[in-house]
Amino acid sequence: MKRNPLILFFIAAIVAAMLFAGIRAARNNRANGHAKRQLMGNLAPDFELPALDGKNLKLSDLRGKAVLLNFWATYCGPCKIEMPWFVELQKEYGPQGFQIVGVAMDDASTEDIAKFAREMGVNYPILIGNESVGQSFGGVSVLPTTFFLDRDGRLIAREFGLRSRSNFVDDIKKALSQGKAVPAQK
Amino acid sequence: MRMLLTSALFLFSAWASAQDDLGPQGPAVKMAPAPVVTAVQGKSATVPLSFRVASGYHINSNKPKSEFLIPTVLKIEATTDIVIGRTTYPEGQDMSFAFAPDEKLNVYTGDFKVLVLVRPLHSVQAGKYIVRATLKYQACDNAACYPPKLLPISFDVKIAKAPPAHIRNPAQSPHVHR
Repeated sequence: MKRNPLILFFIAAIVAAMLFAGIRAARNNRANGHAKRQLMGNLAPDFELPALDGKNLKLSDLRGKAVLLNFWATYCGPCKIEMPWFVELQKEYGPQGFQIVGVAMDDASTEDIAKFAREMGVNYPILIGNESVGQSFGGVSVLPTTFFLDRDGRLIAREFGLRSRSNFVDDIKKALSQGKAVPAQK
Repeated sequence: MRMLLTSALFLFSAWASAQDDLGPQGPAVKMAPAPVVTAVQGKSATVPLSFRVASGYHINSNKPKSEFLIPTVLKIEATTDIVIGRTTYPEGQDMSFAFAPDEKLNVYTGDFKVLVLVRPLHSVQAGKYIVRATLKYQACDNAACYPPKLLPISFDVKIAKAPPAHIRNPAQSPHVHR
């Protein structure tokens, strides 16, 4: 039986494409896609972590505010670029009910993390992160990773790696516009 | 012909989308198979270990410029038969990256070689011995960094017998017969 080379090529192409699609799907399940499918649009996983000032901060206590949750590390160069932006954005949007929370995901000592944060002039709480909190957000395998929560605590956006400042502004505005604001306590 | 073009396009797009995902997840550093170095009992020999940083990534050198950066370090497991000597790291390259154009980081990119000095004990039997180690590194690309990783590696050292000591006949003292 004579085989048409065109048909053989087409079959080979489909097999190769399925193989690549399979690899892609497997990777997505392992990393970012997992977070996207499981988390986006739902309430953010709650956690309580120690902050650099010694107090604990519980994420759900920020309900009523739009939250930018930034996973970072002292060894991460791109994270250093974002931090001055975050300082400005906290000043600019804080009065509207916006709160940035940094979660340090490195092995450095608390003293080193505090020193780093001081040098960067950070004006928002920095929490000492751990693996399980990272896992609850789908695994933080890329730094920086930033999540945006609306005022109801729902995850509405995420950014992997260094993004432009305007990206953050767009996501912050979106977060501020969604969910129910809680009146400031007197 | 149209079918051929369609399938080629389909194949290419699938390949391209798969390539997009390969970055952050895979290990950024691999080691080439190490050559088997022969060391004579009691004598030192150098083992060259060749590593390759994947294209688009960089890792900190052994002496990064900031205290906050994680240096690349080879940690060798202790052995009972071979004394592990000095580990020599190459000098890194001073490079700037898009995320910090004004800052120079001392990094390894592409291929780099680490040299390990080994010295078998005099008493060790000749033969092939395996040495295990771990390369700790922390990789970044132009827009993101990845948590520190440990790359387990191993290399073989072939220990050869030391040649028998050359015994010279002592000079004959003059023996005078009277």
